[in-house]
Amino acid sequence: MFEQFKNWFESRHDYAKDWKERTGGKVIGYFCTYVPEEILYAADVLPVRCLGGHEPQDVTEPHIFGMFCPFCRDVLAQGLKDKFDYLDGITISQSCLHLRQAYTSWDMHKPVEFSYYLPMPHHVQSLASRPFLRSELVKFKEAVEKWTGKTLTDADLDRGIEIVNTNRRLLKQIFELRKADVPPLTGLEAMYLVLSSQMTDKREHNKALKELLDQLPGRKVEREIGERLMILGSENDDVPFTEMVEDVCGATFVIDDHCTGTRYFWNEVIPKEDRLQAIADRYVDRVPCPTKDWPKRLRVDHIKNLVEEYRVQGVIVVQQKFCDPHELDIPAIQQSLKDIDVPTLFLEFDVTAPLGPFRIRVEAFLEMMRQDDLF
Amino acid sequence: MITVGVDSGNKNTKAVVLKDGKVIGKSLILTGFDANESATKAYELALKDAGVTAADVAAVASTGVGRVEVKFAKDNVTEVGSAARGAKFLMPNVNTVIDLGAEEGRAIKLNPDGKIADFAVNEKCAAGAGSFVESMSRALQTTVEEMGPLSMKYSKEVPMNAQCVVFAESEVVSLIHQQTAKEDIARAVHDGISNRVSSMVRRVGMVDDLGLIGGPARNIGLVQSLKDDLAKDITVPEDPDYVSALGAAIYATEIA
Repeated sequence: MFEQFKNWFESRHDYAKDWKERTGGKVIGYFCTYVPEEILYAADVLPVRCLGGHEPQDVTEPHIFGMFCPFCRDVLAQGLKDKFDYLDGITISQSCLHLRQAYTSWDMHKPVEFSYYLPMPHHVQSLASRPFLRSELVKFKEAVEKWTGKTLTDADLDRGIEIVNTNRRLLKQIFELRKADVPPLTGLEAMYLVLSSQMTDKREHNKALKELLDQLPGRKVEREIGERLMILGSENDDVPFTEMVEDVCGATFVIDDHCTGTRYFWNEVIPKEDRLQAIADRYVDRVPCPTKDWPKRLRVDHIKNLVEEYRVQGVIVVQQKFCDPHELDIPAIQQSLKDIDVPTLFLEFDVTAPLGPFRIRVEAFLEMMRQDDLF
Repeated sequence: MITVGVDSGNKNTKAVVLKDGKVIGKSLILTGFDANESATKAYELALKDAGVTAADVAAVASTGVGRVEVKFAKDNVTEVGSAARGAKFLMPNVNTVIDLGAEEGRAIKLNPDGKIADFAVNEKCAAGAGSFVESMSRALQTTVEEMGPLSMKYSKEVPMNAQCVVFAESEVVSLIHQQTAKEDIARAVHDGISNRVSSMVRRVGMVDDLGLIGGPARNIGLVQSLKDDLAKDITVPEDPDYVSALGAAIYATEIA
């Protein structure tokens, strides 16, 4: 049932190359989920997210500081090693400086026909961010038009919005099902859904999601569910870690807060006469990344709501080593969860997670949660 | 009822035989390449020490990094779970347990009823654990046993910045070149570990009393540095290296 999504994720490069061949269209790599995919879909360009390869590498040292987060270095390595050699363009929206360095260095050493830096505002809690982002989207749209030679009409933008919104809606409907006592899908399966969505044509992805949604209500995860966990923090596409927690330790992830998870699709574009303003509003209003979640920390309440709605018993807080924005957030998030008696376990991720030591910690964490049943 | 706890550690494997709340036998051997083989050997030695046979044993539980490898154990318990049980058993007043091993360090906060409230483990680095003292003792041309008494004779505090065992060693070498007294360097090494461990303890939150277990607790110099750093008294039980194995033996009584 999930094979298709898993295959898309695992064979992302083959998929994109094949897509180019079949459609004759252009493919753009994006570094951050603040990039407005609606405009790219309107221009018939396929956006694919540049994620890391989870393999040790030795090519980024001259280009990026060793104490920048391992994810950014891993992403840059993919570019330098030509893993994404089929890209026609690359783009990033401003979120963190580490990732921007990965983009800048990629742009410098592996130039492609289109490269765009989108200054997504940080201060999304200010009203001024709305017209600011709108005017940046005007420029972005013009650049995309110039690149593709195609003028984007309101009808095109509507189509782009519809494709991406449908994807968000379907993913959210499927995630709703995880609230059940016995969810119809595991955390790993949910992870494949979102990750594959970031690297396939959403029209095909939507079709597959619809089919899945028809079958899911009758399905139940066959093993014991164990503890209902939430995972949150930095970018996370660490399949072996998720697999270990669920298959070896016997718990189940029922929800997450990652840009490779719910943060990516949680809210939709609300239609407006001014299409670009509607798109801008969506990105200003989305569940924020910690680079944008200040002066108020709005994400804390959002996380607490998810904990309640999905009846989460414990939270695993992960961060990519040296990820400053998340480092700034994590003490506050852990404290606020502690205040409502939800235990947390903090783990620091690298390009590859040390499964042995992590397993000991996760098991001790679960044991701590289970001790009330033991005695 | 007789139960046995086996603690398969990074460096040593320990076994404790428990009979009706009393330790009647124990053993400690180096963990070899085959954790199960070492565990079997430690188990047999501990039984011999206690003067009982395997037939007398109601249940065996394992703990430690190699706990899953111990095939003859009925069940296993995590290092945090066994340390908490063993420490509470020996030191009922202790609510914060510091457990130091060869390559890992842990701080565990307990509720008054002995249940685990929170814990922290050192990250991928041995600078807060026993191996650190061992490798520094080599650089100082002394033995790990001598490091404690040596550092108790220190006269000057020397700051050591390095948090990594490898870099710390080069820092020690440069201190030697600067003719720093051996006693002061030994103290600096213990202060270095103590800093790492203390931050972990502060992370989980300190609740009186404090107890220290694990092999490095035999090092009086390290204990002193920790006491000075945390400005607290710290209880060290007799035979601190067997506490986790004892905790596993207690766990075995729960599953027997």
